[in-house]
Amino acid sequence: MTDSPSETPQAAEAEAPSEPTGGDVTELAAAVAAAVGGTVAQTEFGTAKVAVDRDNWAAAIASARDEAGLDFFNWLSAVDWTKDTTLGEGVAEPDTVEERFEVLCMLSTLTDGRKVTFSVDLPKDDASLGSLSSIFGGAEWHERETAEMFGIDFVGHPNLAKLYLPSEFEGHPLLKSFPLLSREVKPWPGKVDVENMPSTENPEAPSAEAAESDEGETG
Amino acid sequence: MTTPPEIMMHLSEAAVSVELETAEMTLNIGPQHPSTHGVLRLVAKVDGERVSEVEPVIGYMHRGYEKLTEVRTYPQITALVNRIDWVSGFANEIPFMVAAERLMGIEAPPRAQYIRLILTEMARISSHLIFASSYPLEIGAATPLMHALRERERILDLLESVTGGRFHPNFNRIGGVKPAAGAGASTKKVSQDLPAGFLDETRVAMERVVSVCDDLDGLVSGNEIFQARTKGVGVIPVEIAKSYGVSGPNMRASGVPFDVRKVDDYLPYDQFDFDVAVGENGDCWDRYQVRLEEIRQAARIISQAIDSMPSGELQAKVPRIIKVPKGQVYVRAENPKGEMGYFVVSEGGRIPYRVKIRTASFSNLTILQWILKGILIPDIIAILGSLDFVLGDVDR
Repeated sequence: MTDSPSETPQAAEAEAPSEPTGGDVTELAAAVAAAVGGTVAQTEFGTAKVAVDRDNWAAAIASARDEAGLDFFNWLSAVDWTKDTTLGEGVAEPDTVEERFEVLCMLSTLTDGRKVTFSVDLPKDDASLGSLSSIFGGAEWHERETAEMFGIDFVGHPNLAKLYLPSEFEGHPLLKSFPLLSREVKPWPGKVDVENMPSTENPEAPSAEAAESDEGETG
Repeated sequence: MTTPPEIMMHLSEAAVSVELETAEMTLNIGPQHPSTHGVLRLVAKVDGERVSEVEPVIGYMHRGYEKLTEVRTYPQITALVNRIDWVSGFANEIPFMVAAERLMGIEAPPRAQYIRLILTEMARISSHLIFASSYPLEIGAATPLMHALRERERILDLLESVTGGRFHPNFNRIGGVKPAAGAGASTKKVSQDLPAGFLDETRVAMERVVSVCDDLDGLVSGNEIFQARTKGVGVIPVEIAKSYGVSGPNMRASGVPFDVRKVDDYLPYDQFDFDVAVGENGDCWDRYQVRLEEIRQAARIISQAIDSMPSGELQAKVPRIIKVPKGQVYVRAENPKGEMGYFVVSEGGRIPYRVKIRTASFSNLTILQWILKGILIPDIIAILGSLDFVLGDVDR
């Protein structure tokens, strides 16, 4: 038995966050945007988002780590912005949406609650972006996932092989144009919930909008 | 004919004085291997007992949840997300619910938040007890399994008495929680809330959970073999943890006192007094000790929550049809495995436009190639077990 009390971990009270999340998101986004040379894209819902130029992507992430202190690599992924949606619901204003990929990368800290999402827009016909794998080791797998799911090329990535999918898989499943094959074969039984409430089929009864506005509790 | 003793002695001297030549070979571990906790495959290049390089292969359980969220309404996604990390299904639901609630501008009533908090901490205890049972088993100690799983069973029974499910509660609703199991029209008044006696039974269960931690300490922590297998093995420096996004107990074992429960407000953790368990060296031993301490702290939080349980509604007023206004939000939570978060992109409909699911186990496993380089083959098992991942949480 070589158990000694000094080797058991100490339970330490975490330091109180120097700045609470939520209220200071606007300040945080502005400070980080200035540090990385980007623009503030969103501060609502406690979620700070900073838009960065494509050419400046890797440099901005590096300076966010070194200068803004956001040194914890949280995640990286993308959004396929399109008006052609075969599945689910499309964008709110299809006429104004710009066809593009939006690559998102979140960095945070391990000292306080600060977290910032960085975003960069890529044209669909030239979807390539500098890899972050030399800045954050964790970016390697996240970029592999984003590459296979959206067809985005990460320049400078050491091994952009498929991560989840079989190597012979064709297509990029998270594209809005990619069909969900199980739904093609057979409509999903749960679809009934997606459609209007039965009351809306009867013009005498209150419409779905009216049902919404009456603030009734869910049954 | 037997070898004369003097020649035998020469032979053994030769064996120790001459370095044996080894050739590099490839060792395939998994995808069906008990130590990989599911369908994880490791292609290891080994030179003798030394691992020179490891290529992890994942995706055997990829169910495409991020795609499936794009064809389901928000309430339907609840049933989906608690299958991501099935060892702590309840905890997975919380950040998604809070994300939808933030976008809609509603907040669950205090009693619902307390129920969410108690059940989340129970999920944490249940998940960590699985770790506390399976990890010593992989190192070679079979007895702790019985002790830990016995208490976990009590926790699951309590979870089931409220939610109706042991693994997949599907209990959260946008704006609150579901009326408890067994609620029907005739018993509406009495059984829509927590089952009778639940809080008292939980209090007793928490005392037992703390005592089983002490049992585990006596059975495992003092064991020299266990210490030899875990101390100084698989050290994760803080800088590496940050670079790879390693979170949760794996990161705190490296000495970082960071806990999302202390800095974010997805549940009212600020009303309770609890310590963040941290390690010193970031080795397998510390990761084991940190999780044991987190069980004790979770029991502490639950006991306080029972004492100060508010009364009132279980559901905020929500529209009959859930439509989430346009907006983007990221809500994260301190799950048993680490930081779990949902980045929800809503375009104002009943179905999200895009949901990015940040799972702890996936980010924790990105470190594998780094951490398994240059170690001995038996240490692969010790390190994999200490990282405490669930393949459903890796593959999504």
